[in-house]
Amino acid sequence: METLFALLIGLLIAAGVFLLLSRSLVRVVLGLSFIAYGGNLAILTVAGLREVAPPLLTLRGPYMDPLPQALILTAIVIGFATTALLLTVALRAYQVAGHADVAAFGDNLARDPHAEDDTFADPEHQGPDRPDEPEAEPVPIIVRPRSRP
Amino acid sequence: MTLAAFFPFLIAALCAWLGPRLGRRTGYVAAAAFLPALLLIPELLGMPGSAPALEVTRWVPELDLHLAFRGDGFSLLFAVLIGVIGTLASLYSVAYLSEHEKFGRFYAYLLCFGGSMLGLVLSDNLVALFGFWEMTSVTSFLLIGLWHTRSAARDGAMKAFLVSALGGLALLAAVALIALGGGSTSLSGLDLSALRASPFFTPALLLTLLAAFTKSAQLPFHLWLPTAMEAPTPVSAFLHSATMVKAGVVLVAKFGLIFGTSALWPAIIVPVGLATLVWGAWLALRQTDLKALLAYSTISQLGLLMSLYGLADAEGRFAATAHLLNHAAFKAALFFVVGIIDHETGTRELPRLGGLRRALPVTFAVALLAALSMAGLPPLGGFISKELFYEAMVHQGPLYLAVAVLGSTLTFAYSFRLMRVFLGPLRAPAGAQPHEAPPGLTLPAAALALTALAFGLLPGMAEALTRTAQTALNFGAYGGYLSLWHGVTPALIATVLTWALGAALVTQADRVGDLGRRLTPRTNANTVYYSLTQLVNVFASWLIARTQGLALPDQLRIMLAATAVISGYALVRAPQVFHPFGDLPLGVLPVAALLVGGAVGVLLSRNRLTAVIVTGLTGFGTAAAFLAFRAPDLALTQLLVEAVTVILFLLAFRYLPGVRDLPRTRGRYAFDLTVAGLAGIGATLLVLSSVRFLAPPISPYYLEYSYKGGGGKNVVNVLLVDFRGFDTLGEITVVGIVALAVLSLVRLGRRGRTRTEPGAPPPEDLAPDLPAARVPVTQQERP
Repeated sequence: METLFALLIGLLIAAGVFLLLSRSLVRVVLGLSFIAYGGNLAILTVAGLREVAPPLLTLRGPYMDPLPQALILTAIVIGFATTALLLTVALRAYQVAGHADVAAFGDNLARDPHAEDDTFADPEHQGPDRPDEPEAEPVPIIVRPRSRP
Repeated sequence: MTLAAFFPFLIAALCAWLGPRLGRRTGYVAAAAFLPALLLIPELLGMPGSAPALEVTRWVPELDLHLAFRGDGFSLLFAVLIGVIGTLASLYSVAYLSEHEKFGRFYAYLLCFGGSMLGLVLSDNLVALFGFWEMTSVTSFLLIGLWHTRSAARDGAMKAFLVSALGGLALLAAVALIALGGGSTSLSGLDLSALRASPFFTPALLLTLLAAFTKSAQLPFHLWLPTAMEAPTPVSAFLHSATMVKAGVVLVAKFGLIFGTSALWPAIIVPVGLATLVWGAWLALRQTDLKALLAYSTISQLGLLMSLYGLADAEGRFAATAHLLNHAAFKAALFFVVGIIDHETGTRELPRLGGLRRALPVTFAVALLAALSMAGLPPLGGFISKELFYEAMVHQGPLYLAVAVLGSTLTFAYSFRLMRVFLGPLRAPAGAQPHEAPPGLTLPAAALALTALAFGLLPGMAEALTRTAQTALNFGAYGGYLSLWHGVTPALIATVLTWALGAALVTQADRVGDLGRRLTPRTNANTVYYSLTQLVNVFASWLIARTQGLALPDQLRIMLAATAVISGYALVRAPQVFHPFGDLPLGVLPVAALLVGGAVGVLLSRNRLTAVIVTGLTGFGTAAAFLAFRAPDLALTQLLVEAVTVILFLLAFRYLPGVRDLPRTRGRYAFDLTVAGLAGIGATLLVLSSVRFLAPPISPYYLEYSYKGGGGKNVVNVLLVDFRGFDTLGEITVVGIVALAVLSLVRLGRRGRTRTEPGAPPPEDLAPDLPAARVPVTQQERP
């Protein structure tokens, strides 16, 4: 039984990851839900699937392990909160960007890393034991016209 | 001693608080921080005779880490030195700093630094010693970068920190190796013979040397010290005369007792020290900035101290300890003098200054004494310690002596170069009206200069001070003594030669300058440092641009692929034996079908509604699984959450585009499929291997106490609200924060400043199949 569930969890995770990698925002959110399902089931499975009573003391034992269940209960609620937040963020992102294509959302870090020329914090201050440089032509500072974003 | 090391930290906190209230007068409070260190003087004076005190405070016994402070003669001597110079520097800064300084910050840093330095010299525990060592690096970083609005100060602080942190890491490794080899983390409790026999001995030796060389600015690592001059002058005086830079010297002196038996120890230190002596002095001769001159002079003098302690014999230790005291006195005095000049004229540039002796007579007298001591002229302390240095080098051989003479000649020359600001016709920048500095500035300098004079005139006093360290450093048997006149010895002949050569250098200053311009190599430690840091920067931006600057899916792909590779490697290295395929209970097959149906269906679905409903299928499947496996609470919660989620999605769909996947390129599609498949396989294997390592459950405790302790028969509920109540509280908080975030995000949409301006071209990154016109009009905006 654990083996079957391990396979099912694998399937759920695989589906979740595949959705996560898609370009559509909604599918990314759905993908996370699938990963959450897989995770919850994994906790349950790892604790052992046995044909015993649920942890209700009104019933006669032996009981299932209650601890993983408590953990999953928390996880379900947190997972729901995550989904809600992501969905709202997706909504907002769509409103701001005008599209829901994850791959097209820019990242500030993706800007050209060489945009700032690689100077030291203080070019004059390279240490007093630098050799005396011959008088050099002053390098003109090129000011690029700032394009409108 | 424990108090001496920690009192400055206490006062530092006080100063940070008092700084904005008392202004510059905070310095008087700060000076009191070194009182416990000064109270060690009586203990020091009884020193060569009395046994060293040991104060141990247990700290982290598991790591064999205690605050053990051991007051042997050398440690106490150094602690007192730090105390004296620290007090003087604090008092000096009262008059030195401008009204607009951040006094709280300045004094807090200064005292933290003083405290860590005291801890470093007094500590008997290797691990604590390393801790204090690193603290000196951090606090000196803060001190050097005190004027952090200037990029030069930032650069200098960074450089100093990078270099000394490199040494700090080496020291950490060395300390670990020594503790392993010597069987103890206590410096005085090491089993030296076991350590010497262990294979860790040579690596520990080399690492210790790396640490000492970086901290004490020995030759390849000397680059940080001149740029550390970006710190305010009182800090420079403190850092460079008594303390931080001497930490490496202390290390060599103390660890010389451990490693000195190895031939490798003097074979590395002495040449490096002598090379630093000569090269530092040569570079000092070329400086035009007074502080830079002193900085290189410090490098050079540290080279001298290193080479003497590195000899690891009684003669070298005696001479080094004597010179250590002299150096602290004259170098701190000179820094104070330079501070006065800077204060009075507004510049430290040698060519712009001259003839200041008339305007600043007292400063001139102080500077003269200190500079003569630095140059090694009688009747000052510097002369005596230089004689001892020559004496030691005479015993090492003519080559060593020649290098020593060369270094001292250059020292002689730059000492006179420094004095040029006082000689000749008066020259000062326009507008500056140099006049004698207030006593707050001159008195600390004068006190130090007079000490330098006293060391020369009363050699017995200097000798008594030097001899306090004899038991600690093991030079009690050395028969030499301090005196101005030892008779005509080889050392005296070398000294006379030094003066002659030095005088020649002084008279031929212009030619020496020309030679200097030609001889200075184009590649030096600084250029190497800057090209290295630039290399790191370029590489880092290259890496960031290719890994973190990507669109989200691409970043995820990289992360997942990396995980797949790493865990795949782990799997190959340690193959697990998994459970055989067990029985297949028919009862759970419908559940499995639900789960599979959901997972497959969502991948195939083209319509967003279908996708959500199919996802719900999996959700209900999970709920069914919970039910099947005896977790009714979970099933109930899952069902409720599932219902709410579907509603949430439907609400969101009102404003979101269709769920149909945007096309991926063929390569990406294949890659994604592979990664997803691997992730699935990984999850399966993880679950299987975890099942195998089933630990005995801790739940019998909960089952037993659920009713007894919590009064509830539903164990899961009791667990949530009683046993893990705070966990649940945290969970509720998370949900609450999310609710707030969702609310504010939704309300943000009200104003709809989201659109591109009317008539503006669509943004470039807009997907081609989504025209800008499809931007929704939110509900609130409708009339």
